[in-house]
Amino acid sequence: MKLKKDFIACLPRGKPEEGIKIKGFLETSFVDWSGKVVSVLFLPGCNFRCPFCHNHSLVLNPEGYEDIPLEYILNRLDEMREWVDGVCITGGEPTIHPHLPALIKEIKSLGLLIKLDTNGSRPQVLRYLIEEGLVDFVAMDVKAPLDEVSYAKACGVPVDVGKIKESITFLKSGKVGYQFRTTVVPALHREEDLLQLARQLRGSSSLTLQNFNPQDPLDEGLKGTSPYSDEWLKEVEVRVTSVLRQ
Amino acid sequence: MISVVELRKRQREISAGDTTDMALFVRTSEESIEGWDRQRIVDALMRETFIDPDTAEAISREVEEIIRSSKINMVTAPLIRELVDAKLIERGLEEARRQHTRLGMPLYDVDQLIVHPNKENANVPHGPEATNLTLAETIKKEYALLEVFSQEVADAHMRGDIHLHDLGFIDRPYCSGQSLEYIKKFGLNLPNSISMAKPAKHPEVLLAHMVKFAAALQSHFAGAIGWDAVNIFFAPYLEGMGDAEVKQLAQMLIFEFSQQAVARGGQAIFTDLNLYWEVPKHFRDVEAIGPKGEFTGKTYKDYRTEAQRFVWALFEVYNEGDGAGRPFFFPKPLVHITEDFFITPGHEKFLHHICETASEKGNTYFVFDRGETAKISECCRLSFKLEASDLEDAKRPWKMRYSALQNVTLNLPRIGYISGRDDTRLFENISRFMEVAVKAHLEKKAFLERLLSLGEEGPLALLTMSQDGEPYLRMHRATYLIGMVGLNEMVKIHTGQEMHSSREAFKFGLKVIAHMKLLADKMSKKYGMRFVLEQTPAESTAYRFAKLDLRFHSPQAGHIVKGDIARGEVYYTNSTYLSNAAVINPIERVRQEGLFHPLIEAGSLTHIWLGEAKPSPESLANFVTKTFMHTQNDQIAFSPEFTTCNQCARTSRGLRERCPYCGSEDIDGITRITGYFTKISSWNKGKLGELRDRYRNQGFMKRKADGAEVEFT
Repeated sequence: MKLKKDFIACLPRGKPEEGIKIKGFLETSFVDWSGKVVSVLFLPGCNFRCPFCHNHSLVLNPEGYEDIPLEYILNRLDEMREWVDGVCITGGEPTIHPHLPALIKEIKSLGLLIKLDTNGSRPQVLRYLIEEGLVDFVAMDVKAPLDEVSYAKACGVPVDVGKIKESITFLKSGKVGYQFRTTVVPALHREEDLLQLARQLRGSSSLTLQNFNPQDPLDEGLKGTSPYSDEWLKEVEVRVTSVLRQ
Repeated sequence: MISVVELRKRQREISAGDTTDMALFVRTSEESIEGWDRQRIVDALMRETFIDPDTAEAISREVEEIIRSSKINMVTAPLIRELVDAKLIERGLEEARRQHTRLGMPLYDVDQLIVHPNKENANVPHGPEATNLTLAETIKKEYALLEVFSQEVADAHMRGDIHLHDLGFIDRPYCSGQSLEYIKKFGLNLPNSISMAKPAKHPEVLLAHMVKFAAALQSHFAGAIGWDAVNIFFAPYLEGMGDAEVKQLAQMLIFEFSQQAVARGGQAIFTDLNLYWEVPKHFRDVEAIGPKGEFTGKTYKDYRTEAQRFVWALFEVYNEGDGAGRPFFFPKPLVHITEDFFITPGHEKFLHHICETASEKGNTYFVFDRGETAKISECCRLSFKLEASDLEDAKRPWKMRYSALQNVTLNLPRIGYISGRDDTRLFENISRFMEVAVKAHLEKKAFLERLLSLGEEGPLALLTMSQDGEPYLRMHRATYLIGMVGLNEMVKIHTGQEMHSSREAFKFGLKVIAHMKLLADKMSKKYGMRFVLEQTPAESTAYRFAKLDLRFHSPQAGHIVKGDIARGEVYYTNSTYLSNAAVINPIERVRQEGLFHPLIEAGSLTHIWLGEAKPSPESLANFVTKTFMHTQNDQIAFSPEFTTCNQCARTSRGLRERCPYCGSEDIDGITRITGYFTKISSWNKGKLGELRDRYRNQGFMKRKADGAEVEFT
């Protein structure tokens, strides 16, 4: 796959704060990038409507929240430089923002590493960011086995699975470190689905299974429903990993 | 308890059918019924007070008259005593009344106590043993306030200017730190024990001695029982053992201590294990003691491999948790991180290993010993910094026994309220409160010395045993703790801002603690005793002070105390902490709170509340390393939260309203209260208020319209 010239041409120029809204800023996280102490930026909006989404207010109602000025964030990052290794950009779905590359460049100029959380629905953007050296690590949520029906069910909207596969193939080429992860919801995933997904991802470095949090999901119907037990998830992850390595 | 109607000779037990010409019977506190004898009142007054025989005689007649004219035919000994006390007060004999007073509890309170759990200390379960402990503590507390402490000190405590900790344990020192070498060398030979055990030959026996000795110590100290360099001192016993055996021993050690909730008051022994990855400098060239208490001919540096295998196995056990996957509450593992740690082979792997426990279960305490510092840590954060003489003692590690005799905490917000935002008055009041605290220490010291002077015949025989030529409790090395609660609120009262909200406020907080440290040093010189500052864990004190200030300093206190006044869940921020609710990232918290730590010699700790999040162990390791390198922080711990289900017995992460697995609402939360893990159902109201406020490092967004914050992780 080659990046289309018109894609690059259409990237906005100028300062990112003119175009991008940052709705959340967590100064320190031990959770988002294994081995690193990072800050996390939350960008609004998403092209998916996953029923289990736990950041849905950021997806559905971003206007209800105040913007955090980029300048403030850059200052704080600068002050914490001794401690913070990098910045994790998450959302919502960050790749839907045309100003994302410009935002990343600003952060990179502080000498910080960048991790991107994405749903992989925009392979062009992903590829551009990686090839330009703007991203050092990618965590891609793979929502379900790679077929239109499973995917649409897990994402709450119709998805072009071809694009998801494109992102997966590109990440597997290993230009930067990556991690695939799946949020496991009993209503959406049986063990067989996860093993099927593992077969489709065969040769990948890992697939992390995350447990669904029933506290406040986007789909009210899932609220309070039981997740799988952590032990079960651990066991399945072992089987999934062995499939990946076959 | 001596009753007015003295009944040593019970030859006159009344039984049915006895004929007697006495109309009046007295139910005594010695479970018998006696005939009325006015002379007993006189005897008691003469024995217990300093009043003259004529007055005693007159009072006894007056009391007799009251009883006769009331026409009752059965009175109790406590009632007679109260009537006598009333007569003493009528005559203005207050001191005699005090001496003659009776200690005890109303019937209603005892009933409540037997039926309902104790919430002052979450480490006390509910049961007959726990009730015994509380009853005994109640009486000893009264005794302490009446008899051990002067009225000035007792009143300061009652008012809530200061808090005298563990009054119910007035006849014991506070906490202790010791060395396994003592029992390795001398075996188990306790003064009150009916048998003597020679030094252990096998690791399991050493472990058994350790557990029993800890239990014996628990009944002689109020607080924690800490053990120094446990994996180092076990090492000579582990030579030649396979991995499975070492793991088995580790499992035994942890389960033995975590399931000791059968001893004093049904309490688990508050045990601390100090652990090292390297062999610490001060033990490296020390002759090692091995099986049978004999020197092995090697020094401890030769046992690094065994020591490392043991500490590794201990953390494997912590990582697995108990039979239901819950974190172990005790014993607490404290890992010392030093410069040498980072140059000892395998430290990256080990750091990852203990961070995995920190992430999974939260147990690990990271104790930072920078430069030449060496210490023994224990209790919720108490530590004994080793001085030159201690490093000399380290050559004979069994000598290394430390104790803090008492902890007295100052109510800093109280000082704020009474100082009217005037710097001079504030610092003067701090000095005044500190002097009262010092006085309290002198009084407790005098009392304990009296008990210790009774030697083997006395109640503290165990602490006077001298198998190595000096008493087990080395009074010359004892410390006297001065703690603080609510620095944050004091600063708010005085400057208008909390410590996290402005640089000036924060600096003022530092100034207060620096002043306290200076005073403590001065008083140490003056009295030749070690007065040191400690971050009081203040499990119940933070609640008690807030309640008392609401009573005495409202309406101002209403704007200052933390928590929810309507629910009664009020508290002050512990010690020198920044507000629990403040949105401050862990880096800033560790750095800023760490600035206080060098001033607080007897121990500090910064909590990082994790909530539900399960961090990457590598990220924690990264953070721990940076904390060591970039801050002055003394100690950190990460606290995850759990929900444990009473129905399906499964444990899940986060505090939830119902079990995520079976949906049951019959659940309990587990997290750190002040310096240890417990079930939340046992927490007092103040700490519950704090729990609601804790900032758990969530991301947050500000809602535009009403400014409400939405959390997400």
